[in-house]
Amino acid sequence: MPSNRSITRIITQNRVWQSIFRQGYPDTDENQSKAITNSWFLHIHPVRVKTHTLKISYTWGLGVISFYLLVVLLVTGIWLMFYYAPSVERAYTDIQNLETSVTFGMLMRNMHRWAAHLMVLTVFLHMCRVFWTGGHKHPREFNWVVGVMLWLLTLLLSYTGYLLPWDQLAYWAVTVGTNMIGTTPLIGEQSRLILVGALETGPEALVRFYALHIFALFLPMIILVGVHFWRIRKDGGLSSPLASTDEPPEGGVK
Amino acid sequence: MSKDPRQLFPRGSGQRYGLMELVKGTSPMVGKGPEDTVMSWPHLLIMEVLAILGTTVLLLFWSLAINAPLREFANPDVTENPAKAAWYFMQLQEILLHMHPALAGVIIPVVMVIVLMALPYIDRSREDIGIWFASKKGRKIALFSTVYTTIWLIGLILFDEYIRVRSLIQEPEIWPGWLIPLAVIFGLSALLYFLLRRWRPTTREMLIGFFTAFVVTYILLTIVGLFFRGLGMHLTLPWNLPPGALTF
Repeated sequence: MPSNRSITRIITQNRVWQSIFRQGYPDTDENQSKAITNSWFLHIHPVRVKTHTLKISYTWGLGVISFYLLVVLLVTGIWLMFYYAPSVERAYTDIQNLETSVTFGMLMRNMHRWAAHLMVLTVFLHMCRVFWTGGHKHPREFNWVVGVMLWLLTLLLSYTGYLLPWDQLAYWAVTVGTNMIGTTPLIGEQSRLILVGALETGPEALVRFYALHIFALFLPMIILVGVHFWRIRKDGGLSSPLASTDEPPEGGVK
Repeated sequence: MSKDPRQLFPRGSGQRYGLMELVKGTSPMVGKGPEDTVMSWPHLLIMEVLAILGTTVLLLFWSLAINAPLREFANPDVTENPAKAAWYFMQLQEILLHMHPALAGVIIPVVMVIVLMALPYIDRSREDIGIWFASKKGRKIALFSTVYTTIWLIGLILFDEYIRVRSLIQEPEIWPGWLIPLAVIFGLSALLYFLLRRWRPTTREMLIGFFTAFVVTYILLTIVGLFFRGLGMHLTLPWNLPPGALTF
């Protein structure tokens, strides 16, 4: 325990600190529960969790890792926006300048790209984990549906970001993709035109993909992530085996 | 529940909780005592911090070691060969080689997403929640489904590359583009269904078989499309890939 004159005491025993962290150091049950409920960032957690939830071999941490990658993507993405303009004249040279003349530019771009690829992977693995452990079943049906939407949004966000460097890789990957959309029966060509904004992939497509990438797809993403987390709590936390087999499986009310 | 709830929860007794709502059914915590739980701080938070730190370390070293690709300035007049989509769409581009584009690029993905979303509404059992692959039988079914799907997919890919459905039947387009691919998909699904039935699986275990088949198909086709498709999207070996065939 810190003595009265310890540096810990000087830092924590004052009005500023205590206005931010209302509870004392979380070394008692009461303070540990308050640390969760008093914090905007942490209050999404329950105060207590099932021990089963903490088993690495059950979740592999894939949900947390996916969410963290989204945060990394947001931070590095905003940083990249400072140096990038979505025009055919500037996009490519902006990326070149980012790699050669901006401090940490290359690192930030690399992190954004690899985090995006990693997130595509972890979200898919998370989905597999949830299905194979039965986590999608009652009462979590709707959260599974939200999760599938999040997977699609992840793919679309990654795909719209893919065009932005405006190099050959981006251009042809997007052209292949939008041509696929163009083959949809009845509404294909219209859908393709809405997305590309012209007959061919060009400046219009770049602006639209940019708007989709930084806002039109990202906003639903963060809203649905919020719903996803909220539903985890409302549906009783992470899935775990039923406590006893003599429990009636459905509802439990006679 | 004959007692008046107001007697159970009297007002003004200095208590710090209140009756919010009465609902039917058991809470998900029924049968789980406090002995099955631990404080989130520190037990859960430390795990989260470790996951975050691990991811950060991995991502930082990866980003220091390997640079994001940047090719030449986009040129609509110079088609890349092979012109590939982003790597995570290679499974769609792979099936595009074997059937009508509308079927491969739109109908199958849309149907798959709808089926995925419907899964928890098809299987309403709750006994095996929280258990990997539901049971020993479920694990066997998943393994069988993996082997079954892998063998068929590799066989079909090789068949369509070296014998080619279109060299057997060209006209009318509805045969190689729609009917044969759909017959293969439904035929192999039906065969899988009958093969799995000999285990007498529950709905859950049957769905595990089919979901596993979906995941294996998804991953295997992505790998084939990305690492085994070279010039003109023809099969090749990963070390013979032309430059630019890996779309990361």
